[in-house]
Amino acid sequence: MANVVLSNVSKSYGNLEVIEGLNLAIKDGSFTVFVGPSGCGKSTLLRMIAGLEPITKGTLEIDGKPMNEADPIERGVAMVFQNYALYPHMSVEQNIGFSLRMAGLSKEDIAARVAVAAQTLQIEPLLKRKPGQLSGGQRQRVAIGRAIVRDPEVFLFDEPLSNLDAELRVSMRVEIAKLHNTLGSTMIYVTHDQTEAMTLADKIVVMRAGKIEQAGTPEELYDNPDNLFVAGFIGSPRMNFLRGAFGGGRLRLETGAEWAGAVPDGAVLVGVRPEHFVEPGHGAADVSVKVDVVENLGGTRFVYGTLGSGESVVVEARERGGIRAGDQISFGIKPERAMLFSPSGTRLRNL
Amino acid sequence: MIGRIPWWTVVVVGVIATIWVIPVLGIVITSIRPPSEVALGWWRIDNVSFTLSAWIRVWSEYPLAQAFWFTGMLAAIATLGTMLFAPVAAYAFHFLKFRFRRVLLIIIINAFVLPQQVVVIPLFILWRDLKLIDNIAAVLIPYIGLSFAWSIFLVKNFLEDFPKELIEAAKIDGCGPISTLRHVVLPNATSPIYAVGVLQFLWTWNALLLPMLYLRSMQPLPVLLTKVAGTYESNWDLRSVAAIVTTIVPLIVFVVFQRQFAAGSQTRTGAKE
Ligand SMILES: Nc1ncnc2c1ncn2[C@@H]1O[C@H](COP(=O)(O)OP(=O)(O)O)[C@@H](O)[C@H]1O
Ligand SMILES: [Mg+2]
Repeated sequence: MANVVLSNVSKSYGNLEVIEGLNLAIKDGSFTVFVGPSGCGKSTLLRMIAGLEPITKGTLEIDGKPMNEADPIERGVAMVFQNYALYPHMSVEQNIGFSLRMAGLSKEDIAARVAVAAQTLQIEPLLKRKPGQLSGGQRQRVAIGRAIVRDPEVFLFDEPLSNLDAELRVSMRVEIAKLHNTLGSTMIYVTHDQTEAMTLADKIVVMRAGKIEQAGTPEELYDNPDNLFVAGFIGSPRMNFLRGAFGGGRLRLETGAEWAGAVPDGAVLVGVRPEHFVEPGHGAADVSVKVDVVENLGGTRFVYGTLGSGESVVVEARERGGIRAGDQISFGIKPERAMLFSPSGTRLRNL
Repeated sequence: MIGRIPWWTVVVVGVIATIWVIPVLGIVITSIRPPSEVALGWWRIDNVSFTLSAWIRVWSEYPLAQAFWFTGMLAAIATLGTMLFAPVAAYAFHFLKFRFRRVLLIIIINAFVLPQQVVVIPLFILWRDLKLIDNIAAVLIPYIGLSFAWSIFLVKNFLEDFPKELIEAAKIDGCGPISTLRHVVLPNATSPIYAVGVLQFLWTWNALLLPMLYLRSMQPLPVLLTKVAGTYESNWDLRSVAAIVTTIVPLIVFVVFQRQFAAGSQTRTGAKE
C-alpha cells in the first residue's frame, strides 16, 4: 500500500504536450478514478505511473520515494490492460504465475499464491486453459488475477471493462469494488464512463485535454462541480444547461421563467440536473416542455423534450405517469438546485 | 457454391503439374537404366531394362555419403544460427531503443540489394589473409551474414503486428529485454522463425558458389554434383543418383514445414475478437 504523489508532471510527444504540469496526491488505500473524454491523456498518465512511459517533466513519488526512473517492479505496481494482454501461449495458471516466476519464487510458492488468487476470482476450473479458450469476462478475471497475485502496492486499471458487454460490465464493476474492499490496496482506474467512475471511486479526477478539471469525491463533483465541463460530465443523463441572463437582481431564462438572484449582470447558463426538476408550482418558476420522447425505465422515466426557446431538455419525472410524446407539460425549477455558469464555463457561486 | 472449383482450373493445374513432374521423372528413370539405353534420351524404349548399379556404384566412386553429412552439418549450423540471430536482431530493432538503431537497420537491410557475387572476391581475399580458406567458418559466416537482410526483415515485419501490450505486460511482470524476448516474443513468433529456418536451410543446402571457392578438402553435395560428370564419360546415371540424393532433403524439409508458411502471422492476445 502506498501514496502516489504527482508533482508538476508533464508529458510531451515531440512538440505535442499531452499532460501539462499536473499535480495530484492519491491517498494510500483509496480508489481513484481518472475520467474524461477519449484522448484527454488518462492512459498516458496511468502509463507514466506504471513506468511504461517516461515522465517528461516533474516528479512521481510512490510511498514517499521518487520513482521517475524506477521500473514497474520497483514501483510495486501491477496493471490490468484494456485488452487483457494475456500471454497467448501460456495457460491461465502460467499467466497468473508469470510475474512470480520472473521474481524467482519457488514452484511451490507460485502454485500456492496462484491458487489463492484463482480462488479470490473464482477461476479455479480455468487454470489449465489457454486464454484463447476463455470468454471475455473470464479473460478479464485472469488479467486481474495476474495483477493481484503479486500483492502490489498500487493497482492500475486502464479501461478494463470496455471490451465487455453491458451486463458483464456491471457485474465485473461490482467485483472490482469488492476486490478493493478486501485487498484495501491503492487502486487507480481509468475510464471514460462516468457511471463507472461514480460507482467505483472514492475520488474522481476529471480530466480534459491533459489537465485536471476537478478532483474530489463523487458526491462533491455531483453536488458542487467547479465548472461547466465537470457539471456536464458527471451525472447521467447529462445536466441541462439553459440560456438565461441577469439584470436588475433577477434571473430571466430565455424560455420565459424568472426568479430573483444576486450575480453580476450579464448572460449566464443555468444548470439543472434532470432529477432536480420538481412539480409545477413547487419551484421558484415553471418551464413548459414539449415532450418529444418518453423513456420509461419502470421505476422512473425520463422525458426528452424541447423548451419554448428551442433548447432541448431531459427531465426525470419519477412521480408523473401517463406522459406521452407530443404533450405540453410544465416542470418547476428550484433556484437552490440550479447551478449558474458564466458563458465561458466557470461556476458562479454567490447565488 | 463454396468449395466448387471450375473444371478448367483442374485442367490448368494438371497440365502445369505434369510439366513440372516430367524432368523429375526423367532423372529417376535415368538413374535406374543403363546409360547405353538412355544415351539418346531417357524416354527411349528401344531396349528397356532396369538396374540399380548406379545407385550402388556412386557411393564408392564418389564421397557422396560424406558430402551428404557435410552438407547437412553446414546447413544445420547456418540454419540454427539464422533462426537464432534473426529474431533476436528483429526484436532489438523493433522494440528496443538504442543509438544508431535506424542507421544500423538501414545498412543491414540494404544488403538485400547486394548480390553474393559482389562479395565473393573481397571475402576470398579476407579469408586468405586470415588463413580461413578450407575452414567451415569461411562459408558459415557468409551463410549467416548474407541472410541477415532478408531474415531480419521477415521477422521484423511479423513483429510489426505483434501486440505491444504483451511487451508492456511483460515489463509490468518484471521482465527485462532478454526475458521478454525469451518468454513472450519468441514463443509467439514461431511461424516467422520457422519460415526463416526453412528458407535458410534450402539456400545453404543448395549453396554452390561459396563452398566451391572457400573449401578444399570437404565438399558439400552441390559441389560434388559438378564433379560427378567424368572427364570421358558423362555419367548420366551417376549424376542422376547424386541429383536425387541432393534434392530429396530440401524436398522433405519443404513438405514437412510448408504449413509454417501458411500459418497466420497474428498473435492472439486474448482480447475479444
Ligand atoms: N505514442 C504517442 N505518440 C504521440 N501521441 C500520443 C502517443 N500516445 C498518446 N498520444 C496522444 O496523447 C493524447 C492522450 O492519449 P491517451 O492518454 O491515450 O488518451 P485517453 O486514454 O484519455 O483516451 C492523445 O491525443 C493521443 O493522440
Ligand atoms: Mg486510453
